[in-house]
Amino acid sequence: MAQCLAESELDGVFLALADPTRRAVIHRLGRGPASVGELASAATMTLPSFMKHVRMLESNGLIHTTKSGRVRTCALNRERLELVDDWLSAERRIWTERTDRLEHFVTTNKEKK
Amino acid sequence: MNPDPNLDLTIERIIRAPRKAVWIAWTTPESLAQWWLPAPLQCRVERLEPHPGGAFVTKMSEDGETYVPHLNACFLLADEYERLVFTNALTSDWRPATPTPVAITAEITLTDHEKGTTYKAQVRHADPNAKQHHEDLGFTKGWGTVATQLATFVE
Repeated sequence: MAQCLAESELDGVFLALADPTRRAVIHRLGRGPASVGELASAATMTLPSFMKHVRMLESNGLIHTTKSGRVRTCALNRERLELVDDWLSAERRIWTERTDRLEHFVTTNKEKK
Repeated sequence: MNPDPNLDLTIERIIRAPRKAVWIAWTTPESLAQWWLPAPLQCRVERLEPHPGGAFVTKMSEDGETYVPHLNACFLLADEYERLVFTNALTSDWRPATPTPVAITAEITLTDHEKGTTYKAQVRHADPNAKQHHEDLGFTKGWGTVATQLATFVE
């Protein structure tokens, strides 16, 4: 499942979900589609800042948006979200990558000395 | 304290560097900040006190300006150059916590290896599903239970 997806794609999904504002949007959209205006009113930030979050969720495929007149409506892509359903795999991934970075850090530091 | 395959994970790796170097990378704030979080996130190490009861607090930022909490944890054990154990089930000031996305106890063990160090990270998790059962459908609990919670919400 998750393994079939390109690593960079999965990275994007995790990054998109790493932020509380974006998680709140996903949470709200779980109850059904909502307009950007409605979603933004629940967030404590300016509309342009909020739109960055919406675009990030959209570019990572977690939501899609449609525009009708002046109203942009957001809806959830549930299939995408199911990629991260396996929480222990997600945790394993975090720790594996963390170990990769630690290894890289100590081995490259050593070579410099 | 045997691992539970449903709740725990173990990562073992041979790192081509001496134990002392790995220990320093873990326990020096400037070093930890460089590898603790994945790019493009930036890390700020607020408190790093590797001794039993010591604080372990990190923050993260997406833009390098606004930092939000990442980890607020407490060291349980610190044997120099050998073992580090910390948990986020206790905050840095020893307050019992229900952290995001899940409570963990992480045990980092360093042993000598002919090529450097055998690095082992064992992470024990609280059961996020059990927690979810008792709490409200708080989506802020993290991505581990995102889809499960969502399915409950939608169906």
